[in-house]
Amino acid sequence: MFSLKPPKPTFRSYLLPPPQTDDKINSEPKIKKLEPVLLPGEIVVNEVNFVRKCIATDTSQYDLWGKLICSNFKISFITDDPMPLQKFHYRNLLLGEHDVPLTCIEQIVTVNDHKRKQKVLGPNQKLKFNPTELIIYCKDFRIVRFRFDESGPESAKKVCLAIAHYSQPTDLQLLFAFEYVGKKYHNSANKINGIPSGDGGGGGGGGNGAGGGSSQKTPLFETYSDWDREIKRTGASGWRVCSINEGYMISTWICNAITKSHPQRSDVYKSDLDKTLPNIQEVQAAFVKLKQLCVNEPFEETEEKWLSSLENTRWLEYVRAFLKHSAELVYMLESKHLSVVLQEEEGRDLSCCVASLVQVMLDPYFRTITGFQSLIQKEWVMAGYQFLDRCNHLKRSEKESPLFLLFLDATWQLLEQYPAAFEFSETYLAVLYDSTRISLFGTFLFNSPHQRVKQSTEFAISKNIQLGDEKGLKFPSVWDWSLQFTAKDRTLFHNPFYIGKSTPCIQNGSVKSFKRTKKSYSSTLRGMPSALKNGIISDQELLPRRNSLILKPKPDPAQQTDSQNSDTEQYFREWFSKPANLHGVILPRVSGTHIKLWKLCYFRWVPEAQISLGGSITAFHKLSLLADEVDVLSRMLRQQRSGPLEACYGELGQSRMYFNASGPHHTDTSGTPEFLSSSFPFSPVGNLCRRSILGTPLSKFLSGAKIWLSTETLANED
Amino acid sequence: MASASTSKYNSHSLENESIKRTSRDGVNRDLTEAVPRLPGETLITDKEVIYICPFNGPIKGRVYITNYRLYLRSLETDSSLILDVPLGVISRIEKMGGATSRGENSYGLDITCKDMRNLRFALKQEGHSRRDMFEILTRYAFPLAHSLPLFAFLNEEKFNVDGWTVYNPVEEYRRQGLPNHHWRITFINKCYELCDTYPALLVVPYRASDDDLRRVATFRSRNRIPATGGGYESDDAYHNAELFFLDIHNIHVMRESLKKVKDIVYPNVEESHWLSSLESTHWLEHIKLVLTGAIQVADKVSSGKSSVLVHCSDGWDRTAQLTSLAMLMLDSFYRSIEGFEILVQKEWISFGHKFASRIGHGDKNHTDADRSPIFLQFIDCVWQMSKQFPTAFEFNEQFLIIILDHLYSCRFGTFLFNCESARERQKVTERTVSLWSLINSNKEKFKNPFYTKEINRVLYPVASMRHLELWVNYYIRWNPRIKQQQPNPVEQRYMELLALRDEYIKRLEELQLANSAKLSDPPTSPSSPSQMMPHVQTHF
Repeated sequence: MFSLKPPKPTFRSYLLPPPQTDDKINSEPKIKKLEPVLLPGEIVVNEVNFVRKCIATDTSQYDLWGKLICSNFKISFITDDPMPLQKFHYRNLLLGEHDVPLTCIEQIVTVNDHKRKQKVLGPNQKLKFNPTELIIYCKDFRIVRFRFDESGPESAKKVCLAIAHYSQPTDLQLLFAFEYVGKKYHNSANKINGIPSGDGGGGGGGGNGAGGGSSQKTPLFETYSDWDREIKRTGASGWRVCSINEGYMISTWICNAITKSHPQRSDVYKSDLDKTLPNIQEVQAAFVKLKQLCVNEPFEETEEKWLSSLENTRWLEYVRAFLKHSAELVYMLESKHLSVVLQEEEGRDLSCCVASLVQVMLDPYFRTITGFQSLIQKEWVMAGYQFLDRCNHLKRSEKESPLFLLFLDATWQLLEQYPAAFEFSETYLAVLYDSTRISLFGTFLFNSPHQRVKQSTEFAISKNIQLGDEKGLKFPSVWDWSLQFTAKDRTLFHNPFYIGKSTPCIQNGSVKSFKRTKKSYSSTLRGMPSALKNGIISDQELLPRRNSLILKPKPDPAQQTDSQNSDTEQYFREWFSKPANLHGVILPRVSGTHIKLWKLCYFRWVPEAQISLGGSITAFHKLSLLADEVDVLSRMLRQQRSGPLEACYGELGQSRMYFNASGPHHTDTSGTPEFLSSSFPFSPVGNLCRRSILGTPLSKFLSGAKIWLSTETLANED
Repeated sequence: MASASTSKYNSHSLENESIKRTSRDGVNRDLTEAVPRLPGETLITDKEVIYICPFNGPIKGRVYITNYRLYLRSLETDSSLILDVPLGVISRIEKMGGATSRGENSYGLDITCKDMRNLRFALKQEGHSRRDMFEILTRYAFPLAHSLPLFAFLNEEKFNVDGWTVYNPVEEYRRQGLPNHHWRITFINKCYELCDTYPALLVVPYRASDDDLRRVATFRSRNRIPATGGGYESDDAYHNAELFFLDIHNIHVMRESLKKVKDIVYPNVEESHWLSSLESTHWLEHIKLVLTGAIQVADKVSSGKSSVLVHCSDGWDRTAQLTSLAMLMLDSFYRSIEGFEILVQKEWISFGHKFASRIGHGDKNHTDADRSPIFLQFIDCVWQMSKQFPTAFEFNEQFLIIILDHLYSCRFGTFLFNCESARERQKVTERTVSLWSLINSNKEKFKNPFYTKEINRVLYPVASMRHLELWVNYYIRWNPRIKQQQPNPVEQRYMELLALRDEYIKRLEELQLANSAKLSDPPTSPSSPSQMMPHVQTHF
């Protein structure tokens, strides 16, 4: 337990991690005036007092009193009241416990009890009644509800309209990140490159890893050297980095990649993703159904048909399809020694997901935190995955599709099956997903690097920001986790089960020998689909439009499609008959019994689904204590070896673990902490207006827990 | 975790269908050595057969039948498949194909097992090899139909602990603070004359006289009066009694439900619509209802400090499930290995769950309507709880699996017969070995490394379909493609770290000793620290 006290109302406190000493529960200092905590560039556009935040639908006894504000970044509920029942166990430095970033808002519903009216608020809409209630459906599965019984009816209405307006901007440059970065450039005009070094905010930073242990920077693949290093790391000797696309002239998106192919290009295996995988609309439809099922529908009523309903969403089926197909490509690369070309109409959706999954399976480096981040940077951000459209930051829903979440989900399936193979935890994956909903990080804001440069240059000109020789504004990178979490909280990203190699393969730019039995390649080549018919590939056609590569030096005879399936089967069967080498290839088990629902991600806001004092976190906790104890012992051993002079040196090392053993021999004395639950570190209380659940546990199971309103019933407003 | 041993006393449950390519050394050994045998186990016959493995195709092998097991060893050089099946798990033996059957491997035996699998053997049509095998198997798998003893009475295994002493009613009641001024111990049933399916020693409400009990008994199925943990209909002895009904289906529904589960998992797992197929078996739904009932009972007891009367029509199926699960939720003692053994011994064995009828030990009547997987359902609920609370139970999954395996195997006396009086008549504790002897003499293997001993913590599992899962490692364990990684990687990692911790502590102590020696006597340093621990950090 740590830092439960609200940050002081300055923006410095947001950007600097609080001191590490606040490990106790502080009695919350009373803030006399309810003042919002604002970021640079953030302004309050509307606010209303005497608002009640509802905690449960069946009782108002836990409701919180406070002020609701709408800024150009978030909606914020500011209260003196402590959170009832259950506390959050991590906090986002950018957002208060009750805050919702505007880009996280899915739907805004206003209600008037007395007139029995409800309306889903779009942008620029009128509201003919004074709302008594406001319900916010969030993209991260939360549902937040406020009541205005005691507030001024007009100001309540204004706030609702403001939220509707600001959460649905029409122009990219209206997203808060621009305002924030613009402010930062102005504030630090005298500093080189605009952004003060050290806060890692710029594209060049990438931030340090998740916490104590890893101080490695995440390569952003914006520069020649990142690519060059990656090529050396993967041993792809037949490839070179080319800067021909420096001016984004080859295509509208990035192609600062490798253009020379391998001599044996005839042995390329072409995988037509459009034919084998669900398309983005189907993935989106599955996600909508999944969300409806997990959070919107009444808990009790969905119980009886839960399994078939879950199947009907097709979400798990799609996750499985991506894993299965990626595993088959691993077979092509690993066993058949074929280069693989991913074909997709635009080559920037399904192929991002498949290319990443293939690499996570193939290369243990991408299962480290730094590696995973560099993979996302390489295969998603720089590859031109259209985060802006797919996340639907501008509310043009026809292009929305949660492929990135699907990738995180598929990664979670691998993590679930190989818990010791990943440096990161499932909390990390969930937090990463949440971060796509915060419109501050350049990482998830644009449709392509080119768009970032173009739009931010325009913005800079309009705001009189001198860019110098920089290409566009540098936005904060999501990989700079210190912007969001304290060092202590970041330790939650570490998977205590991980069995890592002692050192990563690159240090100071020089390539250390990276042990691989065979040559191993970490990227896939994506080609243009139309030109690859009939297997005839001319030099020009093979020119990858995309950024990455794969090649195998030794060609195999052309594959026979007939026997291919059974060969693949055989390969998998043999692979699974042996114990997995966690530092080599890992393959997913993809039978229906193996693909599971990622409960932490989808159930964390659902009180009825929460197992208090239970869930896998309790085993995680126990193992963390032990791992921490082993760390402490190993430090003590080192001290003993180096003698008393250096005895204090080792103490500087901060624990890698969120949960610490209090002393070397204390592992067994501590029970399961009260605050652990299957939702940890998240807490469903107060984030979903359902029946109250703490009190008697029976209400969880026995009576129909009715959710307030489901979005479905609200479709016809007014 | 201890690695799965294939020692003579194969205690590693029944998980022996494995293909081991590395160890071929045993192939040419003597026949008698080729079959693991328990003391008291005798070889009856052996035959060359083709085992039609649903996962790897037909495999030529030699099958050995003893009075306890069917054992098959592959005769093919590229496979060392071994099948080791206690005859007790067999529920049905059928002949397939006739003398005129054509086609490869169409003539032979099809054996249905109680543990979610079928075994098929193809035999030669010439001679009488199938008839012989059929008759011998029938004889030894269904000894009761042939006036033969169950193997448990022939088993001469010796263990260094005696599982029969695990449960002592008086001691256990004392642990619970009984008798007290509300409850008293009665010996009214000492000679099983009040109720022949109840234990000799009972705890009853203080104010209920023995005469009362005799009167109540006449109203109940087979005189089963409500005893401890419960109340009974005479409400002057029971105030605060609240009545609620649980909609749990009968034993026949459960049996059919389990059958459907088998249909979708054996031999092939229904792939295209796994979840809806699973739903259509209703197995998890029944699990949910049982857990829900137990949660209600536990909640009533823990919140109201009141006693709860749990009853079903005769009080030996649902009652046992609900009371034992509720106790598991309420009392952390029962979540230890020994506590769980006591719980099973008390609530199931002692209180007369009709194991013999529900399981059909040694009985050939596989269609018997009395059979039902009530105890399996209970163990499944326990497994579900252990999934939701990974640190709350001292035992691991293997513990639950070995209990289920020996529920059928007839190697131990633990689950034999329908009630305590019948067991007493058969002198079960004297003439057979207890399953707890096997488990308690090898406890390490059944321990959950994450167990955190806690007192006074009530567990409330979430009885929701969102959390209930099919127990793959039990129901689908025969399928090598589905089977999950063993040992469990998470447990394995924990054990590695434990070992590492102990190693570090040892080294640290050695170093401290060496350093203090160095300080007191500088010139002599017996071992330099850097020599001592050259690879300490390589684990990370």
